Amino acid sequence: MRLRKTPAAIAALGAAALAIAGCSSGGSSTTGSSSSSAAPAQLTVWRMGSSTPAQVTWMNSVISQFHKSDPAYAKTKVKVVFVPWTNRTQDWTNALSSGKNAPDITELGNTDTPTEASLGMLANITTNVNSWTNKSNVVSGMLANDTQSGTIYAVPWFGGVRGIWYRTDQFKAAGITSTPTTWADLVADAKKLMAKNPGTYGLGAPTYDTPAVASFIWGAGGQIATQQGGKWVAQLTSPQSEAGIKFYVDLFRTDKVSPSKYIGQTELGNVGATSGGANEDFALGKLDMYIDGPWASGTFPANAVGKSSWASFPIPSENGPNPAPVFSGGSDLAVWSGSKFKTAAWKLVQVMDSVPNSTSFANSQGFFPPYTSQLNGGTYSSSQLLSGFAKAATNSQIAPLNAKNWATADATDLVIPTMMKQLMNGADFTSTVTAANTKLQNVLNNGSQG
Amino acid sequence: MVRTVSGPPGRGAGSSGPASPAARPAPRGALGPRGRPGGVASFIRRHRLTPYALLLPSAAAIGLLLFWPTIQIAELSLQNYGLPQVTGVAPTQWVGGANFSAILSDPEFWLSLRISLIFAVVVVPLTLLIGTAVGLLLNRLGRRMATFVSSAAMLAWATPAVSASVIFIWLTDPDGGIVDWALAKMPSWLGGGAHWAGFSWTNSALPAYTLLTVLVVWQGFPFVAVSVLAGLKTIPAELHESARVDGGGAWRIFWRITYPLLKPIFLVLLLLSIIWDFGVFTQAYLVTGELGNRDEYNLGIYAYDRAFTLPPSYGVGSALALILTVILLIITIGYVRASVRQGAVQ
Repeated sequence: MRLRKTPAAIAALGAAALAIAGCSSGGSSTTGSSSSSAAPAQLTVWRMGSSTPAQVTWMNSVISQFHKSDPAYAKTKVKVVFVPWTNRTQDWTNALSSGKNAPDITELGNTDTPTEASLGMLANITTNVNSWTNKSNVVSGMLANDTQSGTIYAVPWFGGVRGIWYRTDQFKAAGITSTPTTWADLVADAKKLMAKNPGTYGLGAPTYDTPAVASFIWGAGGQIATQQGGKWVAQLTSPQSEAGIKFYVDLFRTDKVSPSKYIGQTELGNVGATSGGANEDFALGKLDMYIDGPWASGTFPANAVGKSSWASFPIPSENGPNPAPVFSGGSDLAVWSGSKFKTAAWKLVQVMDSVPNSTSFANSQGFFPPYTSQLNGGTYSSSQLLSGFAKAATNSQIAPLNAKNWATADATDLVIPTMMKQLMNGADFTSTVTAANTKLQNVLNNGSQG
Repeated sequence: MVRTVSGPPGRGAGSSGPASPAARPAPRGALGPRGRPGGVASFIRRHRLTPYALLLPSAAAIGLLLFWPTIQIAELSLQNYGLPQVTGVAPTQWVGGANFSAILSDPEFWLSLRISLIFAVVVVPLTLLIGTAVGLLLNRLGRRMATFVSSAAMLAWATPAVSASVIFIWLTDPDGGIVDWALAKMPSWLGGGAHWAGFSWTNSALPAYTLLTVLVVWQGFPFVAVSVLAGLKTIPAELHESARVDGGGAWRIFWRITYPLLKPIFLVLLLLSIIWDFGVFTQAYLVTGELGNRDEYNLGIYAYDRAFTLPPSYGVGSALALILTVILLIITIGYVRASVRQGAVQ
């Protein structure tokens, strides 16, 4: 790898130099698409989330770099549209089915990429990525998630993992000397914290939080689904998986360290609501521990308390001492299949996803860049808040996240969220898990439950 | 009345107007030079098609706006039409009844149907009952009080569904909602108690639809009240007066005089309420947490989810739309037939 890396980098640098020298008008465009290589008057970028000042500043700096990167694009206007996360699939669908108001570049959640690629939404950028300077530096599992049968549809932009947020001051007051590494310790600590801080809950367990549930299934040695001979086989009914599911359900039902209002909620509250979730309760001191990524601080209200004591530890496995595997989340960047300016769009993607730009963006939002060179740098492991997450990130799992129909199973059909909700509401354990298992397998293989 | 006394004007002279009846065969010469250009008109006249010709514009409008889309939906419901077919990644195929059988074998369909039916069975009578009671009250109140009560009711009616839903969601918020706070403060013999503190109204179907019942009835009763009031104003005061002189109580007067006279109005209100409450979407969508709680879907949300969320399946959505239409037709057609027959007897 090392030997091959340098020539590849030189070749890519050469290509970049040629591009800077103004060769963009020639017919020898490196993109495999039939789109025009002429400089467009405008490129539209769809970003996810809300346009906070930090996001706007970062985006403006990227746009000015893009203008300088190539004289041909100096006058290209870049229009940035912020799409709320909950509206994203609807907006993509509308743009795709109508062919109107579509972007040239879109950000996607990494779980969206396999599904949207199979629907024909994303351009094939295999040749571009293969000649991309940063390709060998990208965490390989993340790029694999964007690849289907050898065709690359997106590039990783930033990533993140979930861990457990806690407050060092509360741990100290409750006499907890080290962070828990087994489930028994976790529940015991949650109860200690509740006893020390009356009126609070110990550990939030929202039902619509599959990444958290997944870590408990994996932490007991179970699997959600595995691929066998090209088919997905759901594994929720294995004894290990059931142990993980049962532990999470019991956080509410028997241990009572999580309130009833989290049933049906994501970690951010009811779907569509902007407040009242576990994130807000933790920030306001009403919840002692909660599961989320380092990016969560961006969702905390302004009157958050205990800021200087915020810290994290990885989600424990059933019997310790190593942490449970985590779902690796994050965002990708992709070129829209219907874009008329795929060459320019890929150019802008490269600027957005350059190592310094990706790193500065990830840092400002509480994520990690997708580059191994940055992750191994050690800046993250020395931070009180980020060290736990950085430790968790070393043990991340992709499957069944890379299944083509995972987004359908999880975000549309809500197989695991509905199962968790029914169980917390008192449904029969075995029959509920069995039904969810059948449904999950159908959706993963057929794209629908029918 | 007036017409029968004075007789049809201008009937005497056969040639007085173009609309004159052409029952008698016109003399050959009468067609004259205008016979050819008036061919269509005379055809219509000869075959007594005038009523149909007059119906034609509205029939065309309905056909264009209603029947054509219905035909399209029927066509889509037999196809695998989804996003890959829109973008051309995969071909459109006829799948026969596959969409229908997929829906009918989906337990979530039956759950949402059950939720919709139970909701309608509870909410329709409640809305009609409260609306009628308020209508009767408004009819007896003095002018000032009537203005006050009716404007209060109008405000509930005029509140947009989204605003009303958001307000109700806030009122019942587990953290700072006034409803949980008040219930927790209430003595236990009134159903209150500390267990209401932090009670979630949206984490399962029963509390969520209890909240929705209050919301939909609150927004729906003013229309019933106003319609009943308008009906009451058309009943001659003498009828009620004489009934009262004969010693009839309010209950008897209502069932013997008011209800029979307003029956057509009640029938329309019943039909509209069934259609609205069975298909309630906006409030249910917001209160149950958008699409986040599949075990709280009603038929409307279920249809929306199957049709439009990822991966969208317009074929399944169309099949569901047809199924919904058929269900509503079955529910309403009995009442329509009954009403038509009653009208004919009376």
